[in-house]
Amino acid sequence: MEIDKVLEELKVIMVERLKFEPSRLPDLSLATVLPKDIEGSLGLDSLDFIELSIGIEERFGFVIDEAQDLEAHFQSLGTLVEYIKSRLADR
Amino acid sequence: MPAERAVIQKAMTRFTGVTGSDLDTLTVRVFTDFAMCFSDLVSTNRQLATLRTSHVGNVEGVERLASLSGGLISLTAHVGNWELAGRLLAGKSARPTHVVVSPDEARELQRWVRRDGEGVRFVSRSRPTVSLELFAALRRGEVVGVQGDRALGTRGDVEVPFFGRPARFPLGPFLLSSGAGVPLLPAFCILDAQYRYVVKIAEPFIAVRGEEEAAARTWVAALEAIVREYPTQWFNFFDIWEPFDQ
Repeated sequence: MEIDKVLEELKVIMVERLKFEPSRLPDLSLATVLPKDIEGSLGLDSLDFIELSIGIEERFGFVIDEAQDLEAHFQSLGTLVEYIKSRLADR
Repeated sequence: MPAERAVIQKAMTRFTGVTGSDLDTLTVRVFTDFAMCFSDLVSTNRQLATLRTSHVGNVEGVERLASLSGGLISLTAHVGNWELAGRLLAGKSARPTHVVVSPDEARELQRWVRRDGEGVRFVSRSRPTVSLELFAALRRGEVVGVQGDRALGTRGDVEVPFFGRPARFPLGPFLLSSGAGVPLLPAFCILDAQYRYVVKIAEPFIAVRGEEEAAARTWVAALEAIVREYPTQWFNFFDIWEPFDQ
């Protein structure tokens, strides 16, 4: 799956599961930082990350069960896209 | 500790209806029970696991734990010796247990009671991404231990009646349950009259997607029942009904 396609799918998850305002979607890019408490980030909290995990599992069809490095994969939309691509490639 | 004494008195009044000297007695008992449980915790944490079990008289409902496979959320509260219960239950499970603690607790108590090992790993909820780690652990079939009686003061709280008045409780455990499809297992560790501990494991239940608040009410009912039975062993030294007004 191409980077743009994965990013678009993530944006759908943001709107449908995280109740993200659709009008803000054009502001999202691979550089967008996700966790709260980081300046300029989307401000996702722990509940958002649960919703995001569920949405990714459902939409991309793999199980998030890594014991290592998950936090790094979910730092930005860019790192998340790369993570999803690598998981899809492993199948 | 006048502020803590005042909130304990308020709670005891609501839990038991007592007043006057009986209320004073119960209030003092909360502090003595806490001292007993905490000193036991510090001392038992320095013992071998085999010696630690000698402090426990009975584990009620242990068959409920044995009947569960896969990921599991062990849901407890600041009742009795909850930390001892966590280590005991972890010892009875072949699965790693991730115990969620508040950032303050982790920093101040780590040296004495937050010792990783014997299948237990303490996880501070200081980072928002900690929920990812817990979700993945549940997916791997591991155990997450979490306190269900401390509101966060964020949108992650839900209001549930507690002894007849609305109080806030964390919603996170129930979202994890519904999201990962794993059961919640309420468990408490009570100090009995002979100064031995009794672990009480209640009926497990699963939070249904979209009905997490109903699951929270199920949990609060279990908590209310144990607090009603052991009012002096619920160690919440703040006003549960108005926790963020102090």
